[in-house]
Amino acid sequence: MSADLGTAALRLLDVHRVHGEGEAQVHALRGVTFAAHPGELVAVMGPSGSGKSTLLTIAGGLDEPSSGVVEVEGVDLTALDRSERARMRRTSVGYVFQGFNLIPALTAVENVALPRELDGVRASRARREAMQALEEVGIAALADRFPDDMSGGQQQRVAIARAVVGERRLVLADEPTGALDSETGEEILRLLRARCDAGAAGVLVTHEARHAAWADRVVFLRDGVVVDESGSAPVEDLLGAGRLG
Amino acid sequence: MSGRFSAAVVGWRLALRLAAREARRARGRSLLTLVMIALPVTAVSIADTVYATAEVSGLEVVERRLGAAEARVDAADASGDAVVFQLPDPENGMGWGGGRGGEPLTLAEVEDLLGQRPVAPISEGSVRYTTALGSGDAEVLETSLDDPLTAGLVELTSGRWPTSTDEVVVNGYLLGREPGEQLELSRGISLEIVGTAESGSTTGRARAYGLPGAFDLGEPSSWLVGGDPVAWADVRDLNDLGGVVTSRAVLADPPPESALAPEVRYGQDLLDGPLVASLVLVVVMVLLEVVLLAGPAFAVGARRQSRTLALVAAAGGTPRQARRVVLASGVVLGMLAALLGLVLGVLGGAAAVPFAERITDQRFGPFDVQPWHLLGVAAFGLLSALLAAAVPAWLASRQDVVAVLAGRRGDAAPSRRSPLLGLALLGLGVAGAAYGASRGTAGGGEIPIAASAIVCVLGMILLVPAVVSAVARASRHLPLSLRLAARDAARHRTRTVPAVAAVAATVAGVVALGVAISSDEAENRESYTATLPEGTGLVVDYRRNPDYEQIEAALADVAPDLATQRLVGVDPEHGRYTEVSFRSAGSGAGDRPGEVVLSSWGGALDASVLVADEVPDVLVGLDQEQRAAADEVLSEGGALAFFGAGNGLGPDVGDGADSVREGVGRGAVVLRVRGPEGSRRVVEVPTFFVPVEGDYAPIQGVLSTRTAERLSAPVHDAGLVLAGPVSRAVEQDVSEVVQGMAGQRSSTYVERGYEPGAETVVVQLVLGSLGAVLMLGGTLTATFLALSDARPDLATLSAVGAAPRTRRGVAAAYALVVGLVGAVLGALVGAVPGVAITYPLTGPVDLGAGTPAGPSHYLDVPWLLVLGVVVGLPLLTAVLVGLTARSRLPLTARLD
Repeated sequence: MSADLGTAALRLLDVHRVHGEGEAQVHALRGVTFAAHPGELVAVMGPSGSGKSTLLTIAGGLDEPSSGVVEVEGVDLTALDRSERARMRRTSVGYVFQGFNLIPALTAVENVALPRELDGVRASRARREAMQALEEVGIAALADRFPDDMSGGQQQRVAIARAVVGERRLVLADEPTGALDSETGEEILRLLRARCDAGAAGVLVTHEARHAAWADRVVFLRDGVVVDESGSAPVEDLLGAGRLG
Repeated sequence: MSGRFSAAVVGWRLALRLAAREARRARGRSLLTLVMIALPVTAVSIADTVYATAEVSGLEVVERRLGAAEARVDAADASGDAVVFQLPDPENGMGWGGGRGGEPLTLAEVEDLLGQRPVAPISEGSVRYTTALGSGDAEVLETSLDDPLTAGLVELTSGRWPTSTDEVVVNGYLLGREPGEQLELSRGISLEIVGTAESGSTTGRARAYGLPGAFDLGEPSSWLVGGDPVAWADVRDLNDLGGVVTSRAVLADPPPESALAPEVRYGQDLLDGPLVASLVLVVVMVLLEVVLLAGPAFAVGARRQSRTLALVAAAGGTPRQARRVVLASGVVLGMLAALLGLVLGVLGGAAAVPFAERITDQRFGPFDVQPWHLLGVAAFGLLSALLAAAVPAWLASRQDVVAVLAGRRGDAAPSRRSPLLGLALLGLGVAGAAYGASRGTAGGGEIPIAASAIVCVLGMILLVPAVVSAVARASRHLPLSLRLAARDAARHRTRTVPAVAAVAATVAGVVALGVAISSDEAENRESYTATLPEGTGLVVDYRRNPDYEQIEAALADVAPDLATQRLVGVDPEHGRYTEVSFRSAGSGAGDRPGEVVLSSWGGALDASVLVADEVPDVLVGLDQEQRAAADEVLSEGGALAFFGAGNGLGPDVGDGADSVREGVGRGAVVLRVRGPEGSRRVVEVPTFFVPVEGDYAPIQGVLSTRTAERLSAPVHDAGLVLAGPVSRAVEQDVSEVVQGMAGQRSSTYVERGYEPGAETVVVQLVLGSLGAVLMLGGTLTATFLALSDARPDLATLSAVGAAPRTRRGVAAAYALVVGLVGAVLGALVGAVPGVAITYPLTGPVDLGAGTPAGPSHYLDVPWLLVLGVVVGLPLLTAVLVGLTARSRLPLTARLD
């Protein structure tokens, strides 16, 4: 709320998300308002079931809010249909998952080129852009390997390259280091940080305080509500407050 | 021993429990497998049940044949010379030889042998009855219908039994004639219909029943006898007197084979070599197809269970135990499917019997189920499930346990030997086919070719993994969906290979049979010889004294515009019979003529040699020039003869006077009248020789009237030409009128050129649809299993921005890859036996007279069918899959 909403890469305004109906009704998000700007890495923290992943799927247009506004680069996602939201994901949003989520039947460079190819870019140009993205994350040499033949850290680098290829300026990362050892995890976060410093907006869902330390700001979720958002408060304090609350 | 047995039981119990749970958990996949295996079991069970019911055997519905009698005795033939050999049920086989030299079997002889018994004489025959336009034939039976012995022979369905010889009952086919109407026989007898009745085993024919004498059939030659049972020894005694016996006691308790007459024993051996071979071929191909269709589901099941299996291994399980878990799912699903198939098969059979009865016009016996057959069919179902689970089970037992537990794929590397073995088998198959083809029509070629078909398909299956991998490697520059599908197909070989192989085996079968059938058709088309000019008709009255005047008068009524012309020819029935042959002129004196110039000719006319002073218009096979030259020869008193160009008498063979060549030459005509006043006359006349292909012509030739007179040839009207074009409607009218006058001993024929049998088209359609169903089955199985496997991939695609229709594209691409790769492979492999079989099928038959004429074989590839199956069907399947696949990409709550 302190941020300048006009230039935000991602803006959520009073977003609610309700799963199921009646007895089985679950409020995953209750009135979340939150923004991420170019050049900024925002960490979203909270205990299990607090709604972190739901927030990320809604931010990327994979899921729709029950109410509220979701804007990516000024475009209201809730006003778009499914295929238009898919186009937004191809052109504006990049995802990085805990489980890497590379397609095993495609080589590293093909995985990176995927969003560009889906966007209708000529295969050779998509490949060139993908090679460039792979170079930026430092594994251009492995371009023609299949995911099964790569280590976890290498796969996650490919995933990051896929998330940023084609000048996309919003990177959504869901526990990107969860399946990696701590040293490789640090590498990945450094990479993410570098992408944000280069002008992208990043949203990092994590439950580890030392990863949140790479962020400019931390948003704390509990039971679907933002309990604190701070760019200055020590992360450890926030965590402590969450546990106490 | 018992310890090992109980250990095995315990081992299997765990495996079966795991398998049953897995089957319940993965309902869709289990259902798919059940359907794949239960369908053939159901189909075969239905067919077997209908067949067993249709087959009237032993004592089933014996009353339709014997009434209430103990036996029925038929005199074998009228000449009285016969000694009969029969099987216990003469309907299954009987024959007779001559040499008894007596009179036909009489009732007195029967009674001498069997003693005095109640007897009901039976006469059977056929009569012609008049209809509005012409006439029809009815099978009739005369017997004392109120005799207790005949009870059940004929069932009265309405009205009453006849009480006098001018009353009859008729069957449903003759309806339209209600009780009270008259049945007019063509012999001028008029009978009153007093009821309707059904009997016998066929329903599709006109039948009438009356008291002895009603139809004027003459002395009875069959008797129903009552009294004591008639034993096999009595049957043999009656056989020796020329009687054919159907005995209730013998049907109920047939004698051993050793008690049969040696003449009929071999007839029991119905299962000869080629029949067994084709039966084996069919069973193997069906088994293969079922195994391949069900295989992918087991492969996916095994992979889904890979973690369970790895845990079993980690807990100390042996590879054999891991195998058992996967095999157990084959046991569970196979037994379920077999049971389901049997139940559906018997129910379906019961439902199908009435339809089958109507279609075949047959009356079936009581509902009959063959337990041993059905048990065999069920075992087939179980076996196919076990075989389908065998390869996935073997692969599952070889997986890398550590890799699987660490969350990676633990597939063992593909075998390098199997493609080599596949190539070797293919080579063997090609060699076998070539050997079979080289046998030509000499016989014995079909079995190696059939065996080569199996060997080729097996070899091809072993090659499929290599081909699928190659396609994946070549897919680098394909569009995204196809690339994804090709690579995925190669990654999940255990799932893809059986599906591709199933499609390939289907296409191979369709292509092989299609090539065989259309080549056979090509031979028929090429070797067709027209009897008449196109559109021209021919009416022939074959009666002893043909009455063409009457026919002409009647035709003038029904078809006044039809121009007719009578043909005159040499009467073949003069004396006992009369034959004419055209020969090359002898080298010596006139009485020693040379070789016969033509070996076979048609029988469309009531003469093989016409008599005319110019070439009749209806004669085909001569061009204008030949016709003019032949006219000249005939008008000068010569003759025209067709000669077989390939029978060794052609221009290249023979010397001087003995040779025959096209054009005018000297020929000899030999006329022989056989019988008591037989004679043989030979004349040498200038003859115009016309060559024909294949040593066959519609007639032998034409004699000028002068030559006919010199030979004193018996001349009669040989047919009536209907000037064309004769429409089909006119043909129908003419046919009815002529039938009404001359009955069976007449023919009406209109030349329509070569008309392909409707069955060729039907068979191609059936082949195409069968191929389509199997291909759809194989492709859809593989595609939907692949799609369910690809859920995480599709979720990822969605996350990086794939439009909803991308899922449809990926689904269609899976179907296209499986269908196309399978179809192309199958077409290549199917061509081997397909081309090979055309040699024995369409090669020239060696009649023992030198080198047979004609091409070595006919080959006609049904390109439309092949293209449809190889290109059309995969595309169609892909489109279908694309349209039916859910377009919504999966959205997982937690994307990882």
